[in-house]
Amino acid sequence: MTELKHITIGVLALQGAFVEHIRHLANAIKNGQYEEYHFSFPQVKTPEELATCDALIIPGGESTAMSLIAERTGMLSPLMDFINLEKPVWGTCAGLIFLAKQCVNGKEGQHFLGGMDIEVTRNAFGRQMDSFIADLDFSDFIDGVNMFPTTFIRAPVVSKLLDPPGAIHKRDTEASIIYSKNTYCNPHKVQVLKLLEDRNGFIVAVRQGNKLGTSFHPELSADSRFHKWFVDEFVLGKSY
Amino acid sequence: MSQNTFQIKAGLAQMLKGGVIMDVVNAEQAKIAEQAGACAVMALERIPADMRNSGQVCRMSDPQMIKEIMATVSIPVMAKCRIGHFVEAQVLEALEIDYIDESEVLTQADRLHHIKKDVFKVPFVCGARNLGEALRRIAEGAAMLRTKGEAGTGDISEAVNHINLIQGQIAHALALTTDEEVEAYAKELNVSLVLLKQLIADKGKFPVVNFAAGGVATPSDAALCMQMGCDGVFVGSGIFKSKNPAKLAKAIVNAVTHYNDPVKLLEYSTDLGELMFGVSVAELKPEQMLSTRGY
Repeated sequence: MTELKHITIGVLALQGAFVEHIRHLANAIKNGQYEEYHFSFPQVKTPEELATCDALIIPGGESTAMSLIAERTGMLSPLMDFINLEKPVWGTCAGLIFLAKQCVNGKEGQHFLGGMDIEVTRNAFGRQMDSFIADLDFSDFIDGVNMFPTTFIRAPVVSKLLDPPGAIHKRDTEASIIYSKNTYCNPHKVQVLKLLEDRNGFIVAVRQGNKLGTSFHPELSADSRFHKWFVDEFVLGKSY
Repeated sequence: MSQNTFQIKAGLAQMLKGGVIMDVVNAEQAKIAEQAGACAVMALERIPADMRNSGQVCRMSDPQMIKEIMATVSIPVMAKCRIGHFVEAQVLEALEIDYIDESEVLTQADRLHHIKKDVFKVPFVCGARNLGEALRRIAEGAAMLRTKGEAGTGDISEAVNHINLIQGQIAHALALTTDEEVEAYAKELNVSLVLLKQLIADKGKFPVVNFAAGGVATPSDAALCMQMGCDGVFVGSGIFKSKNPAKLAKAIVNAVTHYNDPVKLLEYSTDLGELMFGVSVAELKPEQMLSTRGY
């Protein structure tokens, strides 16, 4: 019997909906395709726990709370190091914000991991009363997934792709932009995976190499196909 | 695209999990809360400890004050309306508040009924002392639950009591073996049989998140509730009745993240300065209890 390959996909558990992600990951690898692997999906709260991970999901939650807790509990540098090591990372909603190079409508003292060359705008759709559910077609990048229920809760959007990659974009007119202190330069080009034509063309899913960011919450749906795609495409680097 | 769905309402509460929601009475406090890492704030005119002492009728706060807080912070803002006062709820919805707390801390407006919450687009959180209250609130459309505890006391014992009671009743429901027993228990609790059956089918897991509230005053109080299985914590009077609110607020936020790590809790509990005075629940007369409001 050949030895199993151990794969650890952590979910950042400082604040927010991390349990939902773990449930979906466990569900995504249930079928028989993964016999050569042994997966674990730990909650990640400390640098020691992060060090065991091959990949990381940053969940939805409150982005200010997550950043402040990360900073105070000594997680900010380890998280930036994790990104700089070119490990796969996926951020949903607050996680997308955390992954960005720069942010509009951020809060004083808020930090950004700088893993993707994007500018995000927090609460781009408005308050909770403007939150919504939409069935989106992802078949351009996930085979056969043409109707996926997505939930947008006080969601951010990608308001700008930073080009050339690695450059920060100072905008004199908008003083409220906050920039990541991470000097990491993602070697890949940002790909827009999904935008909402009927909502100002807002960009809601992006990929840059093995970094993935989504405005919405696949973890709130009953559908694990998005998580399976992350595992296959980003973590294992192969398509089934 | 649909907006008025339960998943959007309950989904926001899921995003608040592992977090601390803090009572604030003005924009300045809201800022302190946000900078401490609160995942949401509860805007109200007077914190429960002061309402408890006032002996006056306590109503929804002035929308002007709530508006200022909404303009100051970027985290979700909640506000309270009186139990059964659906017009206060309509006003708060018109204000585009992010969450409404139909709260026993305010004077009850309707002694028999709670608000029919599923007709609102804005989500509601409600307090519960026992499984009957919890399931009735869910039936009315609450998208988030919290224990009632005994607000404004700084005494955690009622919150602990409510957590234990609800868990005990859920365990009892899960141990029932026949349909007749389940039916009889639904009757005893005065709850919908469908919801009780659903709860049993879901192995005792509520369809909404459940926070601790009422009497949380220290990092250890918060961690206690988390270790007992709550999804997050409301802190009312505890923070801004202490001598060093910013420090205590941060310590409680840290404690909720690392609730299972006593070494870290030791660090967060140390040198916090004078805490809120506290009123022992055992010394309260029945008519002074806020948690008995509602049914």
